[in-house]
Amino acid sequence: MDVLLSGQLVVSALVLGALYALVALGLNLIYGTMRLLNVAHGDILMLGGYVAFWSFTLLDLPPPVSLFIAFAAAAGFGALVYSLIFRRVLKSTAVLERIEANSLLVFFGISVIIQNLASLAFSANDRAYPYLDQVIDLGGITLGADRLATLVIALAVCLACVFFFRFSRVGLAVRALIQQRDAAALVGIDTDRINLLVFCLGFGLAGLAGTLISMTEQVSPFIGFPFTIAAFVIIILGGLGNLYGSLAGAFILAGIEVYGVALTSSSFRSILVYGVFIAILLLRPQGLFNRGSATR
Amino acid sequence: MLKRFLAAAAAVGVLLAAGAAVAQDAVKIGYAISKTGPFAPAAASQVTTYEYWKQEIEAQGGLNVAGELRPVEWVVYDDQSDFSKGPTIYEKLITDDKVDLLLAPWGTPFHFAIAAVLERYQFPVVGNSAASVDLREVEPGNIWFPTAAIPDQIAVELVGLMQAQGVKSVAINMLQLPFSQEIKRFLMPALEGSGIEVVVNEEYAPGTKDMTATLAAIKDAAPDAILSLSYPPDSILFMNQSRELGIEAPFQLVMIGPTAAFFGKMFGEARDGLVTVGHWTPENEEWEGARAFYEGYTEFAGEEPDYLNSALAYMSLEILEQAVAEVGLDRDALRAYISSETHQTINGPVKFDGVQNVTTPTMFLQFQDGKAQVIWPEETATAEWIPKPAWR
Repeated sequence: MDVLLSGQLVVSALVLGALYALVALGLNLIYGTMRLLNVAHGDILMLGGYVAFWSFTLLDLPPPVSLFIAFAAAAGFGALVYSLIFRRVLKSTAVLERIEANSLLVFFGISVIIQNLASLAFSANDRAYPYLDQVIDLGGITLGADRLATLVIALAVCLACVFFFRFSRVGLAVRALIQQRDAAALVGIDTDRINLLVFCLGFGLAGLAGTLISMTEQVSPFIGFPFTIAAFVIIILGGLGNLYGSLAGAFILAGIEVYGVALTSSSFRSILVYGVFIAILLLRPQGLFNRGSATR
Repeated sequence: MLKRFLAAAAAVGVLLAAGAAVAQDAVKIGYAISKTGPFAPAAASQVTTYEYWKQEIEAQGGLNVAGELRPVEWVVYDDQSDFSKGPTIYEKLITDDKVDLLLAPWGTPFHFAIAAVLERYQFPVVGNSAASVDLREVEPGNIWFPTAAIPDQIAVELVGLMQAQGVKSVAINMLQLPFSQEIKRFLMPALEGSGIEVVVNEEYAPGTKDMTATLAAIKDAAPDAILSLSYPPDSILFMNQSRELGIEAPFQLVMIGPTAAFFGKMFGEARDGLVTVGHWTPENEEWEGARAFYEGYTEFAGEEPDYLNSALAYMSLEILEQAVAEVGLDRDALRAYISSETHQTINGPVKFDGVQNVTTPTMFLQFQDGKAQVIWPEETATAEWIPKPAWR
């Protein structure tokens, strides 16, 4: 019982939640605006991890610096994928009806290609580097400096995104597109430009998340998939396309993992996570934070 | 200028001649391994070891086949981490590519998957990175397992090691995957009556991203020993989070991970004091070639060999190389030679009884000052066990 009330668990849940929130945000943005199921999301994250690893080992650049490089590189890749593949697809109404299933297949292909190219280029070896490996004492709660940095940066980026979507014109346009795609176009929002921006942002956030993950975990070409899965669980919890919902969903998932294990046993972790996931799908298929009719 | 041209022409001539020689009497060596997919990172050190050996063979001018140096041609496939692909690819290697020699795939399930194919075609293969009590059930004759890390023996020896260090209480945190489950299956009965009390006994699923709750319970119980029966991703998690919590048990075993090169890079001095599963070190001077392999590999790969998988892979290559040097490529002769002779390896002499290596004892490694030292059993130890220093 003492364990349950300890600040240690709160902090653990916060770190995990902030990271999940960041990972899920990019995925949800692309789904929300364009109904594209980006199953290569985790692989973009993996590439971000490599950017951090190589920046650290070859250029002596620490992750707080390389995360800008990773963000920019991943955003550039997002722009490329949008321009080469999805711009045309999104213009054709005939294809648009099957867009979710089709995009899943396209992104699956992209995922396989990225993994294999990464494996060819970097070998399948696990990579890791030491960064901020001291332990910090925050009034009785001890935390690795790398995890503290993860928490701070992930929260800051999530908050920046929240402000962006609430107060900036472009951010509002993105949300308008999520809510009413056709109406948004009618009132003069340049959907093509917004789509491009969302691709850059969605991919960029994944790349940035990868640099954070590389501080505490090993990087290999195949680390992405579990994060893709976690992100899908989160956005289904929070509501597909609901940006704030997915932020909440991330902390709920982290809470289930950390507190569920503390209350029961760590062998129940998967049962708890997927149990809640299936329960939500059955009871509230639109997600915890979406109104029934709002989903499309 | 003319000189340079002549030199280039001569070089081309040599290359052409070498090409012609390859076409004439090259020894074809084939294997399939997980180059992509979830097992690829685990298989990577084995792949690098194969490539290191290939470079060694080329440097000595070819493979010694019964006294004659012959060039080697390689046929390599990716099994994409798919167990079901293993047998098909090995069958293709034998029947279609018509290889002369086969090297082992990565991991226990892939070894098991191809055993029937080897049996059908009577094709001998020296295995390496497989360890399970079930391997004793494999039909002997065409596959051999040089590992000395078989779970039932690990369990018994681990209890012996802990008793010798005065351990009275132990916390076990086990990943739910076959190798760790097998070790625990034999560990629990071995602990009974050993005088070591199990104070925490937890299990967790692959993909776990946080261990705080379990580790906090372990910290509360303050055991003498912690056994983290984990694989690399969760070994990292264990390391990070038990450092955060400041868990200070003097005996800490982390099952798979510490022997890998990336682990040393990631944790540096924090790896010191950890006990892990492994039976090779370059520090044993009686094992001929051990130091040379360590240095050669490190120079070739730009990082240390994996003390477990790289060493096992290289042992399997040494055994095959010696057999081919002695009896040539005839499969019956190879089978007879490998089954009956004592082979000299970087891990000392290896002799098989059935499929199993019966000379190499089950050992444990401990990292001390960045070096992997054998600390158990006494007859092969290169250093004495030391209580784990506080986390750094």
